[in-house]
Amino acid sequence: MSPTLRRILIPLALVGAVVGLELGFETLVPDAAWRQLALFAMVNVVVALSLNVINGMAGQFSIGHAGFVGIGAYTAAIVAGHLHQALGGGDVTFASSFVVMPLALLAAGSIAAVFGLIVGLPSLRLKGDYLAIVTLGFAEIFRLVIATAQTGGQVEGPVAKFLAYLGGQNGYAGPDKTGVPQYAGPFWIFGAVVLAVLIAWRLKFSGWGRALRALREDEIATASVGVDPTRYKVTSFVIAATGAGIAGGLLASMRDGNPTVQPDQFTFAYSFDAITMVILGGSGSVSGAIVGGVFVTFTVKMIEQLQGLESVQSLMAVHPGLDLNALRMVVYASVLIGLMILRPEGLFGERELVRRKPVQRVPGGAEPLPVRTEAEVDAAKEGSAVPAGKASK
Amino acid sequence: MSEHVSEAGESGSPYRDGERLSVVANALELSQVSKTFGGLRAVGGVTFNVPERSIFGLIGPNGAGKTTVFNLITGVYRPDTGTIRFHNQELSTLKPAQIARAGVARTFQNIRLFGQLTVLENVLVACENRRKAGLVSALLRSQRFRRDEAEMNQRALELLAIFELDKMADETSTSLSYGNQRRLEIARAMMLEPKILLLDEPAAGMNYGEAEGLKKQIRWLRDRFGLTVILVEHNMQVVMGVCEQIHVLDRGETIAHGTPEEVRKNPKVLAAYLGEEVDGEGAQASREEAAS
Repeated sequence: MSPTLRRILIPLALVGAVVGLELGFETLVPDAAWRQLALFAMVNVVVALSLNVINGMAGQFSIGHAGFVGIGAYTAAIVAGHLHQALGGGDVTFASSFVVMPLALLAAGSIAAVFGLIVGLPSLRLKGDYLAIVTLGFAEIFRLVIATAQTGGQVEGPVAKFLAYLGGQNGYAGPDKTGVPQYAGPFWIFGAVVLAVLIAWRLKFSGWGRALRALREDEIATASVGVDPTRYKVTSFVIAATGAGIAGGLLASMRDGNPTVQPDQFTFAYSFDAITMVILGGSGSVSGAIVGGVFVTFTVKMIEQLQGLESVQSLMAVHPGLDLNALRMVVYASVLIGLMILRPEGLFGERELVRRKPVQRVPGGAEPLPVRTEAEVDAAKEGSAVPAGKASK
Repeated sequence: MSEHVSEAGESGSPYRDGERLSVVANALELSQVSKTFGGLRAVGGVTFNVPERSIFGLIGPNGAGKTTVFNLITGVYRPDTGTIRFHNQELSTLKPAQIARAGVARTFQNIRLFGQLTVLENVLVACENRRKAGLVSALLRSQRFRRDEAEMNQRALELLAIFELDKMADETSTSLSYGNQRRLEIARAMMLEPKILLLDEPAAGMNYGEAEGLKKQIRWLRDRFGLTVILVEHNMQVVMGVCEQIHVLDRGETIAHGTPEEVRKNPKVLAAYLGEEVDGEGAQASREEAAS
């Protein structure tokens, strides 16, 4: 296949696949719970891909990614809810999703990016673990501000009114409190995954991604070749936040999903899930983030399914303290510890499923460094030191 | 600054062959540079000028503050007092990345490569700041981005060929031998297209023959790229053989400055440490002279 043909056929095939999923998803996966899970896994893939930019490629430890997902979710829910009303309410149609989703996702991504800049700019100037603490604090502040907001009764002031509008612990269910319109069907969610993979891939294999990976390896050396560490770290953090915001937007309006956006969806446990996805798959690997996102989502579901089994139910009747959801953390911890012992670099390490062909060109007209004379080579042999330069011959 | 130029002239012309102009501009001028860490005075009032296109040695016993001077020039540390001028541009207020972009490249005493990156990628990072195509064209894989990448690849491979590393371009840099890692560090520094190259102990771990090769290579790099080279080195075979001027530090202070011959005979230097390093009876005799 010629490259030009491939450049046309591959995108066409992808668009076809995504549209096909939109039309045939319910026939393909008849069980609504599994559909929800599949879409949720795809959202998580976007979350993992975005977190991979800052944690995997840039090597900065952000542990509050759920905060950005949450900001995106609330933003998209508000935008989508109001747009839905403006369009006259009624049924959610595939056609009208082309008006609602781009705007909702754009808003979700932009607002998350702004928060990413606010959080990243001061903390990424500092070296070390400041980012971890600041991001953790940020995510918890975001969640608690919404969860503990005073709702009902009379609230004064624009900020308090806005927070009350978000519904506190009960969550936000659209402007008329009938649920956020679920515009994000398979087309949008799988489409977002395809785009996110493409963007993550191209970022990784661009000069920018190379500089980020260099930064992860050695910050001082990176600065010594003219790359400003702060600028690259902040940019990557904002990109990660944007991706998380868009994932949140998809989560809020996911078809077959929860029509209410609740603060409890964005606890530290979710941030931890996101980190697990990245590390499990392999820090810095795009393929790894995909595999990690899917694997972690389905593990959660498997544990829930286990809980429904009769044997487990009867066991729980005997031991009322048994809570498999709590066991999830034990399972994760065991998997992570096992992985750190057996494969410390994650399933993929930094590698990818598809090998990228190296760009090799035969250099013309380069004069090599002056070669050593025979006498010098002989002298080198006499020397007892390790002949370090030998391998180049 | 003219005063400094004449001073450099007094301490012997930087060029032994005398073919070039006797009055040369300075690439780098350090004036009264000090740095204190806690109570430790690592560098105390160091002043020296490095003439353009010269090979300049910075030597001294362990803990003399040589690497600290490098870190001050490259902005890793900020000097407490004093000025560092590079082609009439003040460096002491700039950030490391800005200093690098101004044309100051360096290598590190304890090799600092980007371990998980390939040999080629290590070198490519150094031209990141010259890249014309931005993030958006990288995402779109535009014509400009691909041309940029191809040009950079070509340039990087040429440089790797100079250092005989082109055949291992796709290996990770950690898999290289020690000597090749040192050469890769120099190749990476050269990709920055610097005006001045700071080499921190490039001969560490090299045997006699390799050190002889290194001397040749340093001279060759200077001539080929019109570089100014500053060398921190313990290997006297290299320092005395290649440097045109030598500046000697001990405990953060300047104790001598001059041509290799002058420094070799300087009693203060010999007292500080050089006596044991220089072979031959002459050195032995002069050390005894200095001691008496």
